[in-house]
Amino acid sequence: MKLIILLCSFFAASLAQGPTLVLLDNQVIKETHSIFFKSLQDRGYTLTFKIADDASLVLSRYGEYLYKNLIIFAPSVEEFGGSLNVDAITQFVDDGGNVLVAGSSETGDVLRELASECGFEVDEEGAFVIDHHGFSVDDNGQHTKLVVSSDNLIDAPVIVGPKKGVAPLLYQGTGILTDVENPLVLPLLTADSTAYSFNPDQPIKEYPHAVGRDTVLIAGIQARNNARVVFSGSLSFFSDEFFTSSVERAQGGLSAKKSGNEDVSTAVTQWVFKEHGQLRVRSVKHHKEGEKDAPNDYTIMENVVYTIEIDILEKGQWKPFTATDVQLEFVRIDPFVRTTLKRKPAGQYEARFTIPDVYGVYQFKVDYDRVGYTRLFSTTQVSVRPLQHTQYERFITSAYPYYTGAFSMMIGVFIFSFVFLHLKEDEKKPKGD
Amino acid sequence: MEFVKFCILALSIYTLFESTHGSIGGYINPADRNKFIQILQKSLDIDGSDLTPYYYAAKARSILNSPYEPQQVTDYCNNIKSKFQYQSIENSFYVYSAWKLLGCRGQIHTTEAVKAIQSAIENPKAAIPDIRYGLEILVIVGQQVSNPAKIAQTIQTKLKEDDSLSNLGHALHAGYLLGDSGKFVSSRVEDIIVQADEVDGKLLQWEGGLTTTSLLLTGLLRAPGSAPLTASQSDKFANYLLTRKTVQTPKGVLGLVEAANALQHSTVPPVSVSIKGIPQVSPEKGDLVFQITSIFGVPLKVPPKPIQVESVTKLSDNSVVVSNQALKQGGSSIDYVLPLKLDPGLYKVVISAGPNTADFAVRALGSLAIKSLEIGLSDTDGSAATKLTKLPYRNKLEKPLQADSSQNLIVKFSLSRPVHQAFLRLHSVAKEIIFVAEQDSSKVYLVEVNLEKELSESGNFEMELLLGDALITNPIRWNLGKIEVSLGAIAGKEAPRVARGPKREIEHLFRPAEKRPPEVVSVFFTALTASPFLILLILWAKIGINFENFTAISLPFHLGFGGILGLFTLFWLRLDMFVTCAWLVPIGGFTFFSGHKLLSHLARSRKQEKSDK
Repeated sequence: MKLIILLCSFFAASLAQGPTLVLLDNQVIKETHSIFFKSLQDRGYTLTFKIADDASLVLSRYGEYLYKNLIIFAPSVEEFGGSLNVDAITQFVDDGGNVLVAGSSETGDVLRELASECGFEVDEEGAFVIDHHGFSVDDNGQHTKLVVSSDNLIDAPVIVGPKKGVAPLLYQGTGILTDVENPLVLPLLTADSTAYSFNPDQPIKEYPHAVGRDTVLIAGIQARNNARVVFSGSLSFFSDEFFTSSVERAQGGLSAKKSGNEDVSTAVTQWVFKEHGQLRVRSVKHHKEGEKDAPNDYTIMENVVYTIEIDILEKGQWKPFTATDVQLEFVRIDPFVRTTLKRKPAGQYEARFTIPDVYGVYQFKVDYDRVGYTRLFSTTQVSVRPLQHTQYERFITSAYPYYTGAFSMMIGVFIFSFVFLHLKEDEKKPKGD
Repeated sequence: MEFVKFCILALSIYTLFESTHGSIGGYINPADRNKFIQILQKSLDIDGSDLTPYYYAAKARSILNSPYEPQQVTDYCNNIKSKFQYQSIENSFYVYSAWKLLGCRGQIHTTEAVKAIQSAIENPKAAIPDIRYGLEILVIVGQQVSNPAKIAQTIQTKLKEDDSLSNLGHALHAGYLLGDSGKFVSSRVEDIIVQADEVDGKLLQWEGGLTTTSLLLTGLLRAPGSAPLTASQSDKFANYLLTRKTVQTPKGVLGLVEAANALQHSTVPPVSVSIKGIPQVSPEKGDLVFQITSIFGVPLKVPPKPIQVESVTKLSDNSVVVSNQALKQGGSSIDYVLPLKLDPGLYKVVISAGPNTADFAVRALGSLAIKSLEIGLSDTDGSAATKLTKLPYRNKLEKPLQADSSQNLIVKFSLSRPVHQAFLRLHSVAKEIIFVAEQDSSKVYLVEVNLEKELSESGNFEMELLLGDALITNPIRWNLGKIEVSLGAIAGKEAPRVARGPKREIEHLFRPAEKRPPEVVSVFFTALTASPFLILLILWAKIGINFENFTAISLPFHLGFGGILGLFTLFWLRLDMFVTCAWLVPIGGFTFFSGHKLLSHLARSRKQEKSDK
């Protein structure tokens, strides 16, 4: 009986958004960030709260992961408890797990190490993002509580929600530096030009780690296996206090009754835990124009019709995906044709084109890699053969002299055979003269 | 001897702490109170069958001193009356309490129900929370506990089985309600307090969060005159409660308010000494306003005396600027004003209010002025003299600076006071480069930019000076003008490849068809090819031919021969080689034999002719 209940609860959990481990510095964080956690629970996440140095921490048991997502709200943790360490978390990400980490100006070494595994660099201990031009009115005097315009969010509604109409954001924490060369890293929220990341109590003797717009406040990464990691330099960003308080810039300009933190953090968690931006290919079809089924092979210069159905996960349901920039490539080592697919009213995407005049083994390739969406990659291999000898052009005008030559010779021989065999010579002219 | 020494030391430390203990830095302000009331109200507006929100709301609002309108009370009472059904002892307690707190007329409990509850709590198997709520109900309906000693016994047995914090909390409450028989719980008090977790040396709470902490605090402090907590513990619990002001549930609100209330009415009520607004003074706003209140933000019952500034110390050089100055009473009864005129810098202000002290870090702000600024270009090798242009504040360069790779950009400026942020920002639409100004020994800030090294490509940039500091009131963004940098031909760096987004479309370029001669030429040559045959026919017609030797015997051969040629034509038009060969064999054989026959016939007839001659 117990087993059945256990199984039932397991299935219930797996049907929902999935089990999530939350690591905290102390139990108080659970309460100071209650709106954040409640919103996750309301969306169907099963949260397991643990103190980050709890000796019983395990991510996987018998090779099976116990959690799908990991939230680390423990900025000051120096070492994880139990079997958890940076390697285990990296492995977790490699195996497709999603991680949300929040640091602070006191970010511990272990989180720093984890960040660098993901391609971010967290500023030194004690460093805050400081903006003397854009701090909040209720700042404590060090100009570290920033009011950041929602224009500084990344241009990707799938990750941060619609940018328009989002109230300014409150931020207090450290700066993150990202590698611009790393194409997988996404700066979700950046600071203003006037900001910099440094220890507010020390004079600037050396070049700060992050200055101006290069200072990333919230960074994200979507790994090649579509696992997602978000690293925020501010734990307070997710706090009840920042969610509910009003915002106003001390130097004037930005103000709102309620900060946009809740909206943005909801959108970011929806992205990082893969509620948003998950794509899949439902079906791929291809055939010659005017036919219904895929042929064994194509011949060069035939007209082909390629149809693909793409789905997006919305509220747990796969629904047809709408976009205008899905491209199809027809590839033989290099792409020979690249064309934008047209969306049909029924939801599938279609392309019609003529197969190139070069034979070989080709692939229909749809590689849809857009910021915030899981990478969609579909290839279908087909062979394209040259024309059969019967398929070439017949009766070419330029060849008429040859035809005439051959036939005139044939007819000539035929008639000549008549003449030669049946001619009766005149008696007058004896043969052999 | 040693021990006595230690005791004296410990005692003296204790008295030191006792005489100057800390305070808490905040209180439940009117905005929080309104928010709490809103949360409570919202839970009542949901029309559900659950009646517990009525208890949370009624209880919390009675503590917050915010009674309901008579009309609301009537509505709520009717609602409770119509919906109430016995569910559990706990639920009944909520409903009965709400009934009583709202002051509803009539009675909601029935004698039978109370009797049932009474017998339930006397059951030796009753759970501690049930016993506690049962006892509370008996108090509400004004009945005596019939057998307190027995119930106390039950609780003790149960505690031996499970002394979790929540059980202990309920036991504390039950113990109080049991009067003399409940004295046993006092032995657990110390143990409970030890179990509290300290966070950062500032907060105290019990595992389980606000609900558990509130349950235990109210339990510990329920008996009037009990003094289980020291003043510093009380402060730490109060600090914890204040961090939880963002609580969102009615249950949480009640927990917070109840616990704060318990602390306020304890022997060691926390005293809040806080600064109104932001802890900073500026030439425009020189008053620091301190607020000395209870945790609920009301004036203390016994206002501590004297209230004074012990000291104001400048942190950079530890000089005491103000000491032992009394604070003036401000506009309201909780406000105390300290007028300060300070040089910009960081200060530590120590306030004492009776035995409570509190220290604050206060910033004195000042304004920043730019004394002078020079901007110009110099040669990297120092060959030519540097020419700098003086630029008055807020002015822009009239002409853009023209720089090449052999030059440095130099910006020199001096300020009225040192700042944290002294950056020079070069920016174009897509790019932004920031340089940090360094201060030399003569306090002059200097930025020297080696253009060739620092810029990767030519371009036009706007120059902007960014000055900021935590201690200045006027951060400066000053657009200095433009600079046009031409670095000459640098090996063109590859444009960063676009990793995502649609790619350029590709259309396949088909091989063009081979060129063919015009049709006229083909037709002409066709005619030319056909001409020998035609000439043959014409010539034959001229010399005259006949088929007089034709006999029927030759017909099969010509049919066969014609057939072969016809087959070849078909082969060209549609047949493949195998079919052609298959047909050729019989037709060929036939032609062979018929040809043989024809020739032998011809030969014979020729012989005959010869012999005829």
